[in-house]
Amino acid sequence: MHKLSRSNRDKVQQFVAITGASEKNALQTLKASDWQLEAAFDVFYSQPQPRSNADVRRLEELYNRYKGNTQDTSFFLLLNWNIYSDMILADGVSVLCSDLQVEPQDIVTLVLSWHMNAATACEFSREEFVGGLQALGVDSIKKLQEKLSFMRSELKDEQKFHEIYNFAFGWAKEKGQKSLALDTAIGMWQLLFAEREWPLLNHWCDFLQDRHNKAISKDTWEQLLEFARAVDPSLSNYDAEGAWPYLIDEFVEYLYDKSVVEK
Amino acid sequence: SLSFKMERKTIDLDQGWDYMQTGITKLKRILEGLPEPQFDSEQYMMLYTTIYNMCTQKPPHDYSQQLYDKYREAFEEYIHSTVLPALREKHDEYMLRELVKRWSNHKVMVRWLSRFFYYLDRYFIARRSLPPLNEVGLTCFRDLVYNELHSKVKDAVIALVDKEREGEQIDRALLKNVLDIYVEIGMGQMERYEEDFESFMLLDSASYYSRKASSWIQEDSCPDYMLKSEECLKKERERVAHYLHSSSEPKLVEKVQHELLVVYANQLLEKEHSGCRALLRDDKVDDLSRMYRLYHKIVKGLEPVANIFKQHVTAEGNALVQQAEDTATNHAANTASVQEQVLIRKVIELHDKYMVYVVECFQNHTLFHKALKEAFEIFCNKTVAGSSSAELLATFCDNILKKGGSEKLSDEAIEDTLEKVVKLLAYISDKDLFAEFYRKKLARRLLFDRSANDDHERSILTKLKQQCGGQFTSKMEGMVTDLTLARENQNSFEEYLGNNPAANPGIDLTVTVLTTGFWPSYKSFDINLPAEMVKCVEVFKGFYETKTKHRKLTWIYSLGTCHLNGKFDTKPIELVVSTYQAAVLLLFNTTDKLSYTDILTQLNLSHEDLVRLLHSLSCARYKILLKEPSTKTVSQSDSFEFNSKFTDRMRRIKIPLPPVDERKKVVEDVDKDRRYAIDAAIVRIMKSRKVLGHQQLVSECVEQLSRMFKPDIKAIKKRMEDLITRDYLERDKENPNMFRYLA
Repeated sequence: MHKLSRSNRDKVQQFVAITGASEKNALQTLKASDWQLEAAFDVFYSQPQPRSNADVRRLEELYNRYKGNTQDTSFFLLLNWNIYSDMILADGVSVLCSDLQVEPQDIVTLVLSWHMNAATACEFSREEFVGGLQALGVDSIKKLQEKLSFMRSELKDEQKFHEIYNFAFGWAKEKGQKSLALDTAIGMWQLLFAEREWPLLNHWCDFLQDRHNKAISKDTWEQLLEFARAVDPSLSNYDAEGAWPYLIDEFVEYLYDKSVVEK
Repeated sequence: SLSFKMERKTIDLDQGWDYMQTGITKLKRILEGLPEPQFDSEQYMMLYTTIYNMCTQKPPHDYSQQLYDKYREAFEEYIHSTVLPALREKHDEYMLRELVKRWSNHKVMVRWLSRFFYYLDRYFIARRSLPPLNEVGLTCFRDLVYNELHSKVKDAVIALVDKEREGEQIDRALLKNVLDIYVEIGMGQMERYEEDFESFMLLDSASYYSRKASSWIQEDSCPDYMLKSEECLKKERERVAHYLHSSSEPKLVEKVQHELLVVYANQLLEKEHSGCRALLRDDKVDDLSRMYRLYHKIVKGLEPVANIFKQHVTAEGNALVQQAEDTATNHAANTASVQEQVLIRKVIELHDKYMVYVVECFQNHTLFHKALKEAFEIFCNKTVAGSSSAELLATFCDNILKKGGSEKLSDEAIEDTLEKVVKLLAYISDKDLFAEFYRKKLARRLLFDRSANDDHERSILTKLKQQCGGQFTSKMEGMVTDLTLARENQNSFEEYLGNNPAANPGIDLTVTVLTTGFWPSYKSFDINLPAEMVKCVEVFKGFYETKTKHRKLTWIYSLGTCHLNGKFDTKPIELVVSTYQAAVLLLFNTTDKLSYTDILTQLNLSHEDLVRLLHSLSCARYKILLKEPSTKTVSQSDSFEFNSKFTDRMRRIKIPLPPVDERKKVVEDVDKDRRYAIDAAIVRIMKSRKVLGHQQLVSECVEQLSRMFKPDIKAIKKRMEDLITRDYLERDKENPNMFRYLA
């Protein structure tokens, strides 16, 4: 490290902070990219993440901590079915969040759940928890905490945001339901679009509460992102003959009706 | 004169030519009409032989080339000295006559000279690949006479043509002869005729008719203009037949048509008081036929006419609909429904009227069939006073087919009307809605024995089947069959009762067993039947189980009828009521007075139903029950008593229940069926295509379903979304406008 120039040293530090990679990895990647930070990021993100330092045993211990102590009677009473279903539930999750020093409604929990490929919000199975943290290359709360800024940065990546957004549907909906309850959907949209501005968000939410008042289908959820991305807020490039879900067609009519947009 | 010698002495060119010259001079004199006897065979032979000899002499006395040249020069000399001067001094018609004469003469001259010089044709011209004598002769005339005069001639001809157009008599034979020159001078090609005459004639004709058209279009009415045009075209065709070359006909006709009918098409058809619209309005079939004849031959000429026709029929149809709508809003409910029936009648008449137009005036042309169809599709799908056209049509049928319906017609007239109604159905997009209304009304007719004539019932079903396919009518046919079977069944039931007197319920019972799938769905409440009726149900069940154990009977009491003997003070009267009404009345056999609540509890009905029943028995025309208080409507605090003082002059009275509005349920049922139909269509299409773009999927879906209804895009999108949720379809990852079938 001491052989490096000051600017290159800075770059290594930056790289580690943002990607969470090891110093050794950072050095290698930056050298290979001719000390161009942007290029180094590209290379790094296109590689599969190494499953290096995470010690599976330590992860199992961590899991059990959040799953709850089966000898503890109060836990047993509260979450008595916990022993039979091997899951970290709402209580465990809120402990996890406070350990990480994040609010439970912080969007980073969604990103974390995405890494775990969690089936439902506020629940982690053993596999999901252990597998997710392994994939992130962490095995302790401290290391996980260090990864938070990296996880937040993933939301800025176009492709990853798309995946996380689509993942959010399945994650946020009730188990056994095919559609997402309207209130939950609106909450999720507000959370997600805080990360990337969409000028029509409020109108969309108003419209849904005003005119729709029913659950949101997966197709509508997914296509909405496409709509937010591709269609200009003035609707100048909106194709009425296109394959947009009918709810989005109705939204466009609503915008014209309420003179939000000129026809 | 010369004498013929046997020995061949060498003929010198000058000598020989001098001799030939005498022959030529003789010929000229004959042509000029001077007194000159015809050639005799000896003279002819001499001339021929002279040429022969001069050509077969040994060199240097073989004079073929020189003779060939002199042959041509003979013509040239004659033309320059005599023919051209004669022509140049004349003009107009006189010039034409002279030309015809000179041409005729020339042809004679060519014929004779080429016979004299024939030997040249045999060997010399072939050996040297030279034009034959005939051609040389004609070419001389062409190059010297024709080329100088053809333009003047053309002008003179055209002037005469225009004179004839203005109505003056001209010498047609002369013109024919002149124009024959143009044709013949082309020597097998039509070029001279076409370039030197025809093209100018066409231009002149165009400008002639352009002038005429521009003044006629201002002064004349549309029919008059068309008459004139027709006449002009006829005359021009005659002109061709008489003196123009036949190949000019299509070109000339096209020009005339263009100036008279194409250039002013819009002005003509749209003439305010006499144009196409006015003609349709005033039923001017002859003028319209003429219009068709004239515009039929013009490329795309009929399109504006068909368009005006379509607009006219649409306007008439819309007016009828509006009339019915207005009457409905201004009048009471009864007259409104009569008006609606009148509307259907009028629409049928409108269709008949304009179909005649299509067949006769417009010669069955597809454009007009299409215009008529599109016009009807527009106004036949409008709503009148809240009723869809599908419902109106079903009600109309019901009126014809039921007993005591508003239409009193002969059997033939009924058949005819039914035929026409089925044809109208083709224009209605919501055919499935019609089917459902029809089915509901058919059910009522069948179940309450209100069908006037079985044959008519079957006949319309056959017609509907033909037009809309077997699936359309299968349920209805099932219903009609059920009734026939029900009668047989009733006979068996009566036999069974005869054989099992203990089972007899003591009441005359008739049961109609229906096949569930065929009939409209009916709600059925678990009303607490009076004991007598309960026994009836048991008895029939017993009988039915002897026939089949595999079927379940569901009783629809709401459709039953009951005949009760009312023992009133004055006289007994038979009451014909529904089963529900009977159940209410029979309660008063055991108790004199009952409160609303009593009745409700005892019968186990809904408020809505009970209010309706009690109203019909206590607040309507026949007050079988006395209501306390005697207000006009039934409320839950009322009480009821049997009205023993009730009487009527009739011995039997029917106490009707007000009809329930079936419209809402029909529309709901049809909407539900449509959702399934759209789903099925989408799945069918995607299963076969595997991957398909959104727009194509939608348009194929619409097409597949068009036989029964017109699905709207929103409905299709909703179903697609549902199918995506149910994992039948997915969007393509790369292109969200494409859909993929998930097996």
